[in-house]
Amino acid sequence: MKCVTLFRQDDHCWQAFGQDPEKPNRIIDTNQYIVRSGDAAILLDPGGIEVFPAMLAAVTREIPVEHIKALFISHQDPDIGSSLPLWRRVCQRDIDIYISWLWESFASHFDRDAAFTTIPDEGMEIALSPSLRLRFLPAHYLHSSGNFNVYDPHARILFSGDIGAALIPRDHPAEGMFVTDFNRHIGYMEGFHRRWMPSTLARDAWIAQVSKLDIDILAPQHGLIFRGDDVKRFLDWFAALEIGSGVAAINR
Amino acid sequence: MNVALAPARTATPRTNKIEARAGGLLGDCRRAFHAFSELDELAENLRILSLNAELAAGRAGDKGRAVRALTQYTRELVNRLAQIQSEMDALRGRTFAFSSTILLGLQHMTMFERAVDLVGGTGPGARVAERAFAAAMERMVDTLDGMAAAVSELSHRAHAVEEVVSQSDSIATNIAIEAAAAGIHEKEFRTVADTMRRYVDDLRLMIEEASDAVRRAADRGEALRRLGLDSLDELKGFRLTADV
Repeated sequence: MKCVTLFRQDDHCWQAFGQDPEKPNRIIDTNQYIVRSGDAAILLDPGGIEVFPAMLAAVTREIPVEHIKALFISHQDPDIGSSLPLWRRVCQRDIDIYISWLWESFASHFDRDAAFTTIPDEGMEIALSPSLRLRFLPAHYLHSSGNFNVYDPHARILFSGDIGAALIPRDHPAEGMFVTDFNRHIGYMEGFHRRWMPSTLARDAWIAQVSKLDIDILAPQHGLIFRGDDVKRFLDWFAALEIGSGVAAINR
Repeated sequence: MNVALAPARTATPRTNKIEARAGGLLGDCRRAFHAFSELDELAENLRILSLNAELAAGRAGDKGRAVRALTQYTRELVNRLAQIQSEMDALRGRTFAFSSTILLGLQHMTMFERAVDLVGGTGPGARVAERAFAAAMERMVDTLDGMAAAVSELSHRAHAVEEVVSQSDSIATNIAIEAAAAGIHEKEFRTVADTMRRYVDDLRLMIEEASDAVRRAADRGEALRRLGLDSLDELKGFRLTADV
């Protein structure tokens, strides 16, 4: 599994993990992120149960697992949170698990003993350490009806969950974890966004919200990471995209 | 920008060994319950037979007095079968719950063992994964204890059905003896005795199939438990070393 450092300043660090070469073909590729500040770390979208072994191996090369103080689950999908019971077995007992209030009882199907800290619809802010605060921003209906992003104002990184996700074909694997040719990358994310993103209202509200933020890196849960000018390119492209394509199949 | 690639190995020999044996154990349990699946139908047939026999005994007057007593005893056996059947239903639910816990536990153990393999060495990451594997193994041994208890109860139920079979066989023999002295009612009583023997044979067949599966399940369950305990001993050794 690849591990890329997105940001590092003193003891404040963002790392992305993904593109596991041993992952079976039928399992969708996912990116997992660790945000660290001193001895505290939060794991963003820890991944599906099948990803857990490679992810644990990769994470423990970077930090002691005891440093993981919190898990953030952006929404209810199994590729995001089905590894939850395994992470709870290796992390400290008092680990915080953040999820939308909407999905608390659903995510309990992954792990009935997990105690969640629920995120209200309008989002919330947490202090990962005395020096680092992270914002959980609402991104409802993109695609999940209870969905959050994570914004780090100091690192200027937005973890965007499924927004910005791309399905990279296995026969054209990316060399790195960043978008290098935006126009070519559109081909890998267009179908996903057209079909998975259901609401133009939600999309427009989200774009208005994140356009006010300083973002150097937009980090999705699937596919490649946007940085620099590609962040703006993505927002412009997404703002103009016709979405909700599945509706056309109803009453066909 | 640092890019690191973790080595990729996914061998899970310890879990595989337990998984293969657990698969056999669960298969034997399923076979045992399947063998008993027609128990309620047989009990119902036996109940109807005893009612018909009682009517025939009534028609035979004094010559049917002994048969009447025997049919009442048969109905008690039918009630016992119904009781065993209901206990067996509850037991089947428990056994399948244990099975699903075992399967989920095995999935978790596979993931932890893969992680141990991927991390490699004896660093902190390996210790974390190994500890998690050990904890999963501990839970697995507890579940296997529960499963072993359930198999043992299943074995007791099989013995209880065996007793019913043996007593029903005696009743059938006694009805056949009574038939010989029943004059014009002989044919009717003999039909009852023959039918009862047929049901007894069916029950006996059921018992043979189930007992074989239960015996194997008990052996496999015990072997699996021992394997789990041995693995736990090894892991405790690792944990002691790792914690030093």
